Amino acid sequence: MSTATLPRTRPKGRDNPSPAGAAPKRRRTGWWLLLAPILVFDVVLFLTPLGKLVASSFADNAYQRVLEDPLVVRSLVNTLTISLASTLVTVALGYVIAVVLCNAGNVMRVVLFAVVLLPFWTGILVKNFAWAVLLQDNGIINAFLRGIGLTDAPVELLHNRFAVIVGMVHCLLPYAVFPIFSSLTSIDDRLGLAARSLGATEASVFRRITLPLSAPGVSAAGLLVFIISTGFFITPVVMGGPGDMMIANQIDYYARQLTDFSGAAALAVVLTVMVSILVAVYQRVLKAGGQHEDN
Amino acid sequence: MKDFRSPVLDRRQILKAAAMAPFAGLALSGCGSKPADSAAANKTVTVTSYGGSYNDQLTQTILDPFAKQTGIQPTLLANTSLAALKAQVQSGDVQWDLVEITAPEYETAVAEGLLEKFDYDIISDKGLPGYAKAEYGIKYLSFLFVMAWDQNVIPDAKAPKDWAQFFDQDMYNTKRSVYNQLSDSSVLEAALLADGVPFDKIYPLDVDRALRVLGHHPGKDRLLYHAANQEPIQQLTSGEVSLSTSFNNRINAARTDGAKLNFSAENAVLAGDYFVVPKGAKNKEAAFKLMNFMSNDAEAGAAFDKVTNLTLANTPALSKLPKEIADTLPTSPRLADKILVRDDKWWSQNLKKTEQQFKLWQAS
Repeated sequence: MSTATLPRTRPKGRDNPSPAGAAPKRRRTGWWLLLAPILVFDVVLFLTPLGKLVASSFADNAYQRVLEDPLVVRSLVNTLTISLASTLVTVALGYVIAVVLCNAGNVMRVVLFAVVLLPFWTGILVKNFAWAVLLQDNGIINAFLRGIGLTDAPVELLHNRFAVIVGMVHCLLPYAVFPIFSSLTSIDDRLGLAARSLGATEASVFRRITLPLSAPGVSAAGLLVFIISTGFFITPVVMGGPGDMMIANQIDYYARQLTDFSGAAALAVVLTVMVSILVAVYQRVLKAGGQHEDN
Repeated sequence: MKDFRSPVLDRRQILKAAAMAPFAGLALSGCGSKPADSAAANKTVTVTSYGGSYNDQLTQTILDPFAKQTGIQPTLLANTSLAALKAQVQSGDVQWDLVEITAPEYETAVAEGLLEKFDYDIISDKGLPGYAKAEYGIKYLSFLFVMAWDQNVIPDAKAPKDWAQFFDQDMYNTKRSVYNQLSDSSVLEAALLADGVPFDKIYPLDVDRALRVLGHHPGKDRLLYHAANQEPIQQLTSGEVSLSTSFNNRINAARTDGAKLNFSAENAVLAGDYFVVPKGAKNKEAAFKLMNFMSNDAEAGAAFDKVTNLTLANTPALSKLPKEIADTLPTSPRLADKILVRDDKWWSQNLKKTEQQFKLWQAS
């Protein structure tokens, strides 16, 4: 567990005034030069094409065209529901893993870290195809179910929404584990000790100390995972059925199959705006929730 | 193993190529500004096709002999797409010289003004069959859209004889894999044939009826979709499905590699692809020279027909083929009354609408 977290705040407070008082005056000019590379990179390679994309999305009534397309509406709904479900499952699983990581011994922790990081370092195609091999009708899981006599006909595990969520959760898990893990490790052990010494049960320690103090990590993880979820493209193709296509697949369809570039651009803008609104609402709700708890 | 490459890897190649394209563009546009380099143009030609076993065959039978004869060095890519062609033409940075597209895509590309006119002073049309010569391209290839099966599960004696049997759920309790797009696959035609519509009454296509048929036999939940030409081979060989639509050359190539698959040429749908030159292609002349070679060189054409079991638009080649090979080609007179000829005109007018309807049907 984290060693002596509580004293950490005090030295910080003491150290801060001296450098902060002296340094800034000496090096005020030129600091922005440090930002120049990333600024150039961002403006030239990100903002310019993004601007062009937004501009091209206003051609030929693209918004009206795509929003009247029932397939688009469907894939927007799919994107929201699949992302939401994946996020909930990922954060819940991630929380469990993070708690286990926190309480594990040194060897166990290294092993668990490796298990969590392995999918992080593996290409998404490899992960998805590996799942497809496991889940298909003549795959290992169905062979096992038939072997123990649970079913005669193969259970449909692949090419449906369940498979898409499984595939996505596997990819997303590291993004949930690490923020939650870091917020868990920064909780002072002694709070739990104090609570227990006053007769609190493990459940109430978890409910009244661990959970509220790790909430920032959970909300950060949820946000991160949700935003990444909305852009999934390969997983619905490899593991989903035609009814599970998400907005990225629709953008691909507009660009490559229909060669309707302004339509594809409009869809990309719709996705970005939609996610931005959701993020803004989410943060507002979190803030409101946080204030509520303080009161 | 190369031939069993999965389609999504092809997509990854596309992504990779897309990621590299700006850099290639920088490099090339840098070169192009120097006048000395205009002499270097047309020493190479960049060709795009669909990848997998077909690209190997194209290289071996056409591109390599062409390079030997002319000294022009072809580069063959696996990521052909009308969208990429359009993006290149619109951005003014054309990387491709000779691009394979489907027949309905050809009509779209012509209508949108994306193509160079073919120069029949460079390309001799002597070797071209009547159907192949067009103003902005050559319908260089004819292939068969066929029903294919896994011989491990369905021995040839019990294989489907027509599309009604192919889709019959009582006869074959397996999923069927079908192409998820309609630009060069004919699953709707197959459904109508299964419903008893004769060859000459298929067009104009009754899309609602075709989808209704598929909804009953085999039923939506018994259909699986593939997104690339090589994918059904992988699905059949892995045992994921025992029946699939595919193209005659893909099954033949897999058989050559030892896969236990087979197909039936009867009740197949004859369709074709075009080679076109994007507007502003840097090696336009080299591309035309390659087209001239492809359409007139009897040796190369015969080798291509033999290896692929497809018909190249190259009449001199036919006389070089032994009868037993010629009889298996998509355009063989022996097959003429047993196959459906795809109506390119109907598809070019109705592709987008129909594809949209098909997608919606799949998703609902």
